[in-house]
Amino acid sequence: MIQFLQQLVNGISIGSIYALMAVGYSLVYSIMNFSNFAHGSVIMLGSYFGFFAMTLLGLPFGLAFVTAALGSAFVAVSLERLAYKPLRERKAPFLYFIITAMGASIFIDNFVIATIGPTPKMFPPIFAEGPIRLGQVALGRIDLAMFAISAVCLLILILFIDYTKMGKAIQATAYNMKASALMGINPNMIIIVVFGIGGALAGVAGVLYGMKYQVFPTIGNITLKSFIAAVFGGLGSLPGALLGALLLGLIETLVSGYLSTQYRDLIAFIILIAMLVIRPSGIMGKNVEDKA
Amino acid sequence: MSIRKVLWLGLALVLVLAGCGGAQKADIVKIGWLGPKTGDTALWGQAEYDTLVMLVEQYNAKGGIDVGGKMHKIELIGYDDKGDSTEAVNIAKRLTSQDKVSAVVGPQGSGEAIPIAPVMNEAKVPAVATTATNPKVTVTESGAVNPFMFRACFTDPYQGAVAATFAYQKLGKRKAAIFMTVDDAYSAGLTQFFRESFTKQGGQVVAEVSFTAGEKDFRAPLTKIKASNPDVIFCPNYYTDVALSAKQARELGIDQVMLGGDGWPSENLISLAGTALEGCFFVNHLDFNDPAVADFKNAYKAKYNKNAELNSYMAHDAFLMVVDAITRAKSIKGEDIQKALKTTDVQGVTGHIKIGPTNDPVAKDAAIIKIVGKEMLFQEKIQGQ
Repeated sequence: MIQFLQQLVNGISIGSIYALMAVGYSLVYSIMNFSNFAHGSVIMLGSYFGFFAMTLLGLPFGLAFVTAALGSAFVAVSLERLAYKPLRERKAPFLYFIITAMGASIFIDNFVIATIGPTPKMFPPIFAEGPIRLGQVALGRIDLAMFAISAVCLLILILFIDYTKMGKAIQATAYNMKASALMGINPNMIIIVVFGIGGALAGVAGVLYGMKYQVFPTIGNITLKSFIAAVFGGLGSLPGALLGALLLGLIETLVSGYLSTQYRDLIAFIILIAMLVIRPSGIMGKNVEDKA
Repeated sequence: MSIRKVLWLGLALVLVLAGCGGAQKADIVKIGWLGPKTGDTALWGQAEYDTLVMLVEQYNAKGGIDVGGKMHKIELIGYDDKGDSTEAVNIAKRLTSQDKVSAVVGPQGSGEAIPIAPVMNEAKVPAVATTATNPKVTVTESGAVNPFMFRACFTDPYQGAVAATFAYQKLGKRKAAIFMTVDDAYSAGLTQFFRESFTKQGGQVVAEVSFTAGEKDFRAPLTKIKASNPDVIFCPNYYTDVALSAKQARELGIDQVMLGGDGWPSENLISLAGTALEGCFFVNHLDFNDPAVADFKNAYKAKYNKNAELNSYMAHDAFLMVVDAITRAKSIKGEDIQKALKTTDVQGVTGHIKIGPTNDPVAKDAAIIKIVGKEMLFQEKIQGQ
């Protein structure tokens, strides 16, 4: 029973990282209808921004977050301006967006490998060592911080989307870009805002990930899991991305805890495929067509 | 064919034969070496070559080596294999067919040592690898022993037995958990030997849990280990995984001692792990601070004005094995030296080397290193059981 509770805690903690990452995929998808595969590389850069802010500039932990969020937001918006905007203006097929995103991702990863190097780096210790114990269940201090920071970021995001004018404009654009443009909402502006928010969250996720594990150039590969979580929960839906991420984290942990690590991905992906067969739009997705 | 051509050919033949005969007459024993002098691993190759040059000078100054009552000077013939397997095969062919060496020291890596095995077997010239720890260097996939391949170092899996012996006898642990990498020959070999040795001595392996290479979150498998309540955790993994998994284990409240093999030592291990590995141990080939290696270490330092590498010590012992075998064989023929190598029983700087049926040193001393603060401290030398 204690082992089960501990695995549950582990699963939720992994899920909450996936959630922060998955939201970035979902946001962009809801507006632009394509999966921004460069998101993982932006997360990786965020992790390095935070790391260098703390080690080279000697900034405190909180400011490192802000630096990482601003830096990643800047990278994400630049990526949109440089890589996706020309495609949008030419009304290129969605496949081109995906290929461009993958290309950008490979470029960024290798740029970091070539300039900074492939050796993993460790964040300076931020929290006191040793877990907090609840009975026999150990709660990592970093895990608690991660859960809290993720929750706060996501809560702010949901409030922003639901209760501000800009948030409403994003929803309108997601619903129908042409019609909302006719109503006076500038789609270019919305796209920049969405990439900026996605990038900032990626920066926060990157720092959290780096703190919890390590900072290394291929963090982006792991964020594919969060993309799966986003699809699982329903691409384009924020609550869906959250739910999908938590479920994926739990399934993975329970499978590797009770069966074997070797079966973890196998079973997680079988559930994903089954889900897509039974409910192609994911748990909470709205639109069924073209889930590229 | 004109008379003139036949005459020229005859003359050439006589010259060639005379040349060979001349070389054979002088009392020389040729020892080959191959290893990387360029490329990523050049540092280690150069260290080996420098060691051999120094040793050959020392022996020749004393008149050479005694082969059946007659002193033979040593001629060292070394080539750069660039740490490349194709290059190594070419050099092995050249050393055996062209230079006609009696024995070869090297190569250093398993990647070069495995492909040259057929060449050495065919030419019937023995090679003594220095740091090639992969079991397949001496024993082929099908389980047959490569008769002409030997090594001075212990094999990967043997470290598992060393760790088990240390855990059981020195640390007094009785319940071990093993945390290993899935589908990794190194990790699997160490695990197997650890399990066999630990249970044979009376210990119990309470959990054997694996993770996938490239994993960053180990908490699910680690929670399984925690539930099995071991006294000690054996982690035959590479240092990045070791550091990260140790940190996560401590976060989960697993405070047992961890043990590992030569995948641990790295400049980065402690900076990545922080304090998570405090008081943990790992097995290594030797320790540079071990008093037994001091003489050689100082001589090397005096001659080259740099510190001896692990490869210097291993090359020293590989060379020692060859010289010992030549002396006992009373012959400079490859086949005779090979027979003598099979019964090697010498004291090297890296420990006692006794060659077993698989041409590997058996029950060789290994160094136990303890992690204390930011230091890796030599504890003691022990043998695996």
